[in-house]
Amino acid sequence: MTMQPTISVSPTPVSTPSVPPTTAALAIADLVFTYPGAAAPTLDLPVLNLAPAEQILLTGGSGRGKSTLLQLIAGLIDPQGGKVRISGTAIHALRSADRDRFRGQRIGMIFQTFNLLLGFSARENVMAALMFGGVHAGEQRSRAAALLESLGIERMDRPVDELSVGQQQRVAVARAVACSPTLVLADEPTASLDPANAAQAMDLIQSVCRSCGAALLCVSHDPSMTSRFIRVESLAELSRTHAVGHGAAA
Amino acid sequence: MNDFTIILRSLSSRLFSTVTTIATVAVAVALMLVLLTMREAGKKAFERGSGDMHFLVSADASPLVSVLNGIFYANPPRRPLTWDRFKQLERTFPWTYAIPTQLGDSYLGLPVMATSQEFFTRFQPNPGESWAFAAGRAFDRSFEVVVGASAARSSGLGVGDVIYLTHGITQSRQLGDASANDGLHVHRDFAYTVVGILAPTGGSHDRALFTDVTSTWIIHAHDVRKKVDPAITTTTEADLTDADRKITGVYVKLIAPPGSSIPTNFQQVFDMLRRDSGITVAQPGQEIATLFKIVSNIDRLFIAVAGVVMLSSGISIMLALYNSMEQRRRQIAVLRVLGASRARVFGLIAAESVIIGLLGALAGIALSVAGGFIAASALRDRLGLVIEPDLEPRSIVGVLLATVVLAGLAGIIPATIAYRASVSRGLRPLG
Repeated sequence: MTMQPTISVSPTPVSTPSVPPTTAALAIADLVFTYPGAAAPTLDLPVLNLAPAEQILLTGGSGRGKSTLLQLIAGLIDPQGGKVRISGTAIHALRSADRDRFRGQRIGMIFQTFNLLLGFSARENVMAALMFGGVHAGEQRSRAAALLESLGIERMDRPVDELSVGQQQRVAVARAVACSPTLVLADEPTASLDPANAAQAMDLIQSVCRSCGAALLCVSHDPSMTSRFIRVESLAELSRTHAVGHGAAA
Repeated sequence: MNDFTIILRSLSSRLFSTVTTIATVAVAVALMLVLLTMREAGKKAFERGSGDMHFLVSADASPLVSVLNGIFYANPPRRPLTWDRFKQLERTFPWTYAIPTQLGDSYLGLPVMATSQEFFTRFQPNPGESWAFAAGRAFDRSFEVVVGASAARSSGLGVGDVIYLTHGITQSRQLGDASANDGLHVHRDFAYTVVGILAPTGGSHDRALFTDVTSTWIIHAHDVRKKVDPAITTTTEADLTDADRKITGVYVKLIAPPGSSIPTNFQQVFDMLRRDSGITVAQPGQEIATLFKIVSNIDRLFIAVAGVVMLSSGISIMLALYNSMEQRRRQIAVLRVLGASRARVFGLIAAESVIIGLLGALAGIALSVAGGFIAASALRDRLGLVIEPDLEPRSIVGVLLATVVLAGLAGIIPATIAYRASVSRGLRPLG
C-alpha cells in the first residue's frame, strides 16, 4: 500500500489542519447536527479535514452518527451549525438543485448494500451516474464501458441483479468514481461481506480511488479495517461531545 | 442514458402493474370513444335514411312517428292514404318526385317496401348519390323484388331466388327462427322473384326489400276476396278496386332553382300541406333532430358514465404509482445520491404517469376501432341500424389530451411523495 498524505486532525477546533480548507478535498468545521426531537446533538464535530487523494478510516460504534456524517458531507441533510467544504465549496450554501448537481459531479458514494438501480444493467447504473453528473449523453456509453471493463465487468449489459455479489460491488465502485469525484464516501462497504471478499472489496475501493485521485472517507465499525489505512480516526474522539446518536441513522 | 430510459426501466420493472394500469386506461378510453363515435355515427345513419326528400307525407299520428315508420321501418303505419289522395297530392305542385310507399309486409322479419320504379330512378338514398346495384336490376313488373344490401347479407338471398312475403312485420328479427312468423299470414299464393341486390347505402333502406305497389295491392286484395269466396285461386290487377289501392306514405321532393338545394317555395308548400288535416307532413331532418333531442339526456348519461370510468382509470394510475412508492424508496434515494434534484425526481414520476396515460389512450384508440366495429355489427343485427364507426379525429385528439392531462394530475400525489422522500430512510440497509 502506498503512503497517503497525512493530515493532522484534532478534536479541538483551534487545531490548525495541515491543508487549508479552500484546497482540502474535505474540510469540516464546527459541524452540529441534531435529529428533530433528540435531546442532544447526534453529531458535534469541531474539525475534520482530508487532503486531496487522502484515504481515511473513521471508526465508531453503532449510533455514533457515522452515516449521518456522510449524509451531511454529501449535502443530503442540513446541519444546524458548522460548515462542510468540498474542494473549497461550502456544500450547504448551495441551492438545492445546485447542491444535487455538485454532489453528482464531485462526490461518489458506496454503500454496504451497494444500492444499485435494480432492473438497470451494470452499464446503465454507471451511465445514470454520468448523466446526473452532467456528462454529455454521447460520451456516457463509452465511458461507462471503459470503466467497467477496467474493473473486470464483462457482462455489463446484464441486469445487475443477475451479477454475483463481487461483481455488484465492482459496479457500485465504478458508479461511485464514474464522474472522477473529489471525494468518495464509503459507508460500511464490507459489512455484508465475508472476510476474504471484504479484503478484496477494500483493495478495489482503495486502489480505484487512488488511481482516480479521489479522497476516500470510509466509515466502519469493523476493527480489521484499521490496518488498511494510514490514517484512522475515531468519530467519538473527534466529536466535541460523545453524543449518543440517532439509532436509525447510524 | 436519459430520463426516458429511467422511466422505461422503472415501468418495465413493475411490468404486471404497468400493463394492468395501461389496460384499465385503455378500456376507459375505448368506452368513451366508442360512445362518442356511435353517437356521431348514429346521427349520420339517421340523417342518411331520409336521402334527398324534402317531405314525407303520410296518415300517421305525428310527424316523428311518420318518419320512424316510413323511413326507418320502426312499425307498419296503421293509417293508410288512398291512391286518389296520392294522385291529388301529385297534381298539387310540380314536384321533382312524389313517390308512393306502402309498408306492411315482411320477409323473415325484414321489412318490405312497396313503391314505384321512381324510388330507384329519382329518389337518392344519400343526397347526390343514386342507387347502385351490387347485382341485377330494379323491378320493372309485378312480383319482382329488390333486396337491400344488409337484408341480402342476413337473409342470404340472391338474384333468381323465389320468396313469399308475410303479412305484417314480426317483432322478432331473428333469421331462421321458425317461430318468428307464428301468428302471421304468409302470402303463399304469390311468389316473388329476386331481380336485384342493392349496393350498401349506409342508411335504413339497406335492411329492407322493395317491390312494386301493384303486386302488394294484388296479394292483399286476394286475401280479402278469399274471405268472401274461399274458392278463389287467384287475383289480378283487373280485380283491384279503389279500396284495395292504398299506400302508407309519399316521399316528395320540391323543385329547387338551379344551383341551390333549397326550393324557394319550401316553407309555403310545407305550410299549405300542413293545413290539410287528413295528412301528416314531416320534414325528416327536423324530426331526426327532435328525436336526438329526446334521447340526448340518455346520451349525456352514457357520456357521463364513460367520464366516470375515465376518472376511475386516472385514480387507478395514481394508486398503481402510489403503491409502488414504498418499494421505490431506495431507487429514488439512489437517484438523489447520484445527483438527481427533487424537481427532477418529481418530473420522472409525473412523466411515468403521463406515459401510462398516453400508452393507455393509444391502446384505447386501437381497442375502440375494434369495439366500434363490434358495436356497429350488433346495432345492425339487433336494431337494423346501419352505422359506420369512423373515429372522428376531433374526438380522438380530445380524448387523448384529456387522458394525458388526467394522467398528469394522477401523477401529482405520487410525484410529491417522491419529491419529499427522505434519502436517509431510503438508503437504510434492508433487514
